[in-house]
Amino acid sequence: MKKTKRFAALALSTVLAMTVLLTACSSNEESPANKNGTNKTEEGEQITLKFSFWGATIEKKTVTEALERFEKKTGINVEPMHIPADYITKLTTMVAGNVAPDLGYMTSGSGLSWAEDGKLLNLSPLMEKDPDFKKEDYLDQVWYETEPGNIIGMSISVQGYGLMYNKDMLLEAGVELPPTEADKAWDWDTFIEYAKKLTLDDKGRNALDPEFNPDKIKQFGFQYDPYNMMAAVVSNGGNFLTEDGTGFGLAQPEGIEAIQKLADLMYVHHVSPTPLQTKSLPDMALQTKKVAMTVSGNWALQAFAEQEFNLGVGVLPKLKESNTLLDGAPMVIFSSTKHPEEAWLLYKYMADPEQVLPLIEGGLWMPLKKDWYTDPELINKWAAGNKAHPEGYTDAFMKQTLENGVRTPGFEVKNLAKINALVTPALDLVWTGKQTAEEALKGIEPKVQPLIQGYYGR
Amino acid sequence: MAAAGILFALPSILGLTLFTILPMLTSLILSFTDYRTVNTPKFIGFDNYTRLFDGTDPYFYNSLWVTFKYVILRVPLGLVFSFVAAFLLNLDFIRGKSIFRTIFYLPVIVPAVASSMIWIWLFSPDLGLFNSFLEALHIPTLNWLYSEKTVVPSIVIMSLWAMGSTIIIFLAGLQGVPRSLYEAAIVDGAGALRKFFNITIPMMTPIIFFNLIMGSIGAFQVFTEALIMTQGGPNNASLFYNYYIYREAFQFGEMGHASAIAWILFMIILIVTAIFFRTSKSWVFYESEV
Amino acid sequence: MQKSRRISQIMVYSILIAGAVFCLLPLFWLIRSSMMTSLQIFEMPPKWIPEPFQFSNYAEALTSIDFFRFFRNTLMITVGCLAGALISSALGAYSYARLNWPGKNLFFSLLLASMMLPGAVTLIPTFIGWKLVDSINTYWPLILPAWFGSAFDIFLLRQFYTSIPRDLDEAAYVDGAGPLTIFMRIIVPLSKPALIVIGLFSFMNSWNDFMGPLVYLNEEKKYTLALGLQMFQSIHSAQWHLLMAASTVVILPVIIVFFIGQRYFIEGITLTGMKG
Repeated sequence: MKKTKRFAALALSTVLAMTVLLTACSSNEESPANKNGTNKTEEGEQITLKFSFWGATIEKKTVTEALERFEKKTGINVEPMHIPADYITKLTTMVAGNVAPDLGYMTSGSGLSWAEDGKLLNLSPLMEKDPDFKKEDYLDQVWYETEPGNIIGMSISVQGYGLMYNKDMLLEAGVELPPTEADKAWDWDTFIEYAKKLTLDDKGRNALDPEFNPDKIKQFGFQYDPYNMMAAVVSNGGNFLTEDGTGFGLAQPEGIEAIQKLADLMYVHHVSPTPLQTKSLPDMALQTKKVAMTVSGNWALQAFAEQEFNLGVGVLPKLKESNTLLDGAPMVIFSSTKHPEEAWLLYKYMADPEQVLPLIEGGLWMPLKKDWYTDPELINKWAAGNKAHPEGYTDAFMKQTLENGVRTPGFEVKNLAKINALVTPALDLVWTGKQTAEEALKGIEPKVQPLIQGYYGR
Repeated sequence: MAAAGILFALPSILGLTLFTILPMLTSLILSFTDYRTVNTPKFIGFDNYTRLFDGTDPYFYNSLWVTFKYVILRVPLGLVFSFVAAFLLNLDFIRGKSIFRTIFYLPVIVPAVASSMIWIWLFSPDLGLFNSFLEALHIPTLNWLYSEKTVVPSIVIMSLWAMGSTIIIFLAGLQGVPRSLYEAAIVDGAGALRKFFNITIPMMTPIIFFNLIMGSIGAFQVFTEALIMTQGGPNNASLFYNYYIYREAFQFGEMGHASAIAWILFMIILIVTAIFFRTSKSWVFYESEV
Repeated sequence: MQKSRRISQIMVYSILIAGAVFCLLPLFWLIRSSMMTSLQIFEMPPKWIPEPFQFSNYAEALTSIDFFRFFRNTLMITVGCLAGALISSALGAYSYARLNWPGKNLFFSLLLASMMLPGAVTLIPTFIGWKLVDSINTYWPLILPAWFGSAFDIFLLRQFYTSIPRDLDEAAYVDGAGPLTIFMRIIVPLSKPALIVIGLFSFMNSWNDFMGPLVYLNEEKKYTLALGLQMFQSIHSAQWHLLMAASTVVILPVIIVFFIGQRYFIEGITLTGMKG
């Protein structure tokens, strides 16, 4: 009996405590709006913009600080909305519930398809009206367009791809360092030969040795995420779709050849870990000398810079031509915003490399503006003399991205998510050595064909 | 009596209607529309459903099959495994029951970021514990999560290890088996086995029934493991039904189509549950119905 | 006889200990990773003991996110849900198990059916519902539903209640007791282990809930621990060592609550045992 009463009392007091807490919190909520009372516009109406974004600790800090500086400078309130995971689920519910943020990061696939439904603002009129803004100042490859003239934004940052390697391992093996200039890029056979020299079995024999045992590899010459196969495909003159946007490009001879060559690195030349072997490799394979060279986007430099090894960079080995991939995700303004002009001001502010310098200097981002790639004074601010941007970076990444950067399918291929849902399982079969690239890609071509809807922005 | 009954159940009736049935009905309606979450839904009749059955959607039958395989392995194994664990944990002579119980519940508590790393190691084809074990026994090693044949059984093994919640429910149920029944049985000279089958099992049937129903409902909706460990791969061999729905809804933005897919699962679970309820009359023993 | 009992006891112990080792593995992994550099965490084959012990991970983890604010927020939601879940589910289950009223079977079937539709397709309708009552970016969508009972809890408690002998109620009715008195004096005390189970599950669910806070909360000062933990990870990088340290701190209260909760379990045995 006593216990029952105690239980009831406990329950009751919990309810009371909770009510108090909740009321306390909702009154707290009022305060920030009043905090910046001095910044009110002349009409007395305080404008608040919601800016949604993702990112780990450093990105979160840099972006939040930039937003605060914007607040101070303009008197426009900004509510940062940092979404730590499942970004697109959160944004989808917000847009469906008609409570979308004013502007923010987006993923490319959903971004372009939402734009077609009119959920994102066309920035062209805003850009034309703005005398301080010149579209030509920004890289040509960073723009997202659903159709000519309907620009939904530019990429949050530029992400060029390149070769990254552990310099000491190459020097020890007597391998010449990867070239940093496009016209000197390794051709595929040279690349394989060097990769073989850098691949060692448990007895220390390299992959050129006739005694080499491919079942007991201790050190791989080259690791890459095979689902990033687009870099090889574009270097071979192919692309995800055919040039006219009506055919499945990966199943064309150039695409198949490039993908087969990647698979051969694992199953013929034994210089790259198979997906199974990758599961046993640590995240930090370069530092721990399990892997000598890898391919990744610019962002990886930030993590490598925090590790203790002698990082080197170079241009990607080429199949037919030397080029690189340029990846990204758009920053957009939602059409539901009540303050498009102010949102544009903030948009422009966040696209300015100066405002997000710590991310650029730290190796996570590459800047959006062209002069940051050409003006020596600006280059000095980020790409010279720091650990994330080793010697050769200006050629291998900056120049290569600017001059030979080919956009990833995410920028322009329509219906990409659904096509990829067919392509990924088919490539599973290639990367696990069960089928040749030709069998797998020709096999899904009839299913992919009806999903092909061409390119955005053409 | 009736008034008190309705009054006591009123919060749950209200909550059920407002928080669950209304959204469910909305999604049922949406399943007959072209709704991509950012447009105004457009009525398209049964198109979302016919697209599934006529094979236009290439994933439907595959994910149904994959999910059935999982359910058929997971539900019976889960019941036996957790019942035995609970029974052993409840034996009179066991010391440190509190510690044991807490430990058996730990896999449920530890966040997936840590436990998925453990599983990646255990299942690792080259260095994993499971394969070293098989090697020691001179049994051919397996590729576990990374082969189309073994990925579903591997995920079943993972889920069996996190059975803490079911074990706890069984444990709570075992506390309710009156001691007097066991004492009477001992007087009659019953052995441990007879006590187990004649007293423990029959007295536990309402709880076994509960875990059977909830285990089935949960198994049909298996999701997290596919998301964290395999992303539906390799080659769609772990594209569980619920993961497939999530992908349609949020990655492809096809909410209308996703709703149709979800309602088919609803019907399947409903039929399975209804069958269990029908058969329950013959094996579930309710004290209050005597 | 004595000897064979000994042997079977040893067998049971060895099974339990083997199982326990297996179940301890992830916790051990978590704790050892929380004191390593992020480089050591991924070494293969794994290292079991960190060297050196990097205790500074804890300080860094707890200061690099707004840990104590998230902790307070999470605690508030958890306690709010816990009280609601216990009261509403216990009453509801009592009604479904013991009282007769028109439409009972219909509503019970609906209750069960409500668990059969995957949440991905009801998320947006539910969200829009909360938006209509202007509750986005508040804790209401996270706490209020608990006060209206959960299908799982009600079904579970109903199963327990049905195994309490009915003669007890009958006797009380004869003494003139009403349904509420019977509920408080007979049902609640006799189903204590089950109520504790409901309480533990409710605690666990709201403590770890990720989707709810993610979808309904917009401002970081309202975020919960589950969201906070995600801040150590992003698409391309993760601070694994900090994530592991923060996770260890986050699950500690759950382990303590569970350990304490299941002790009442034992108390439950003796009570039910004597009265039953």
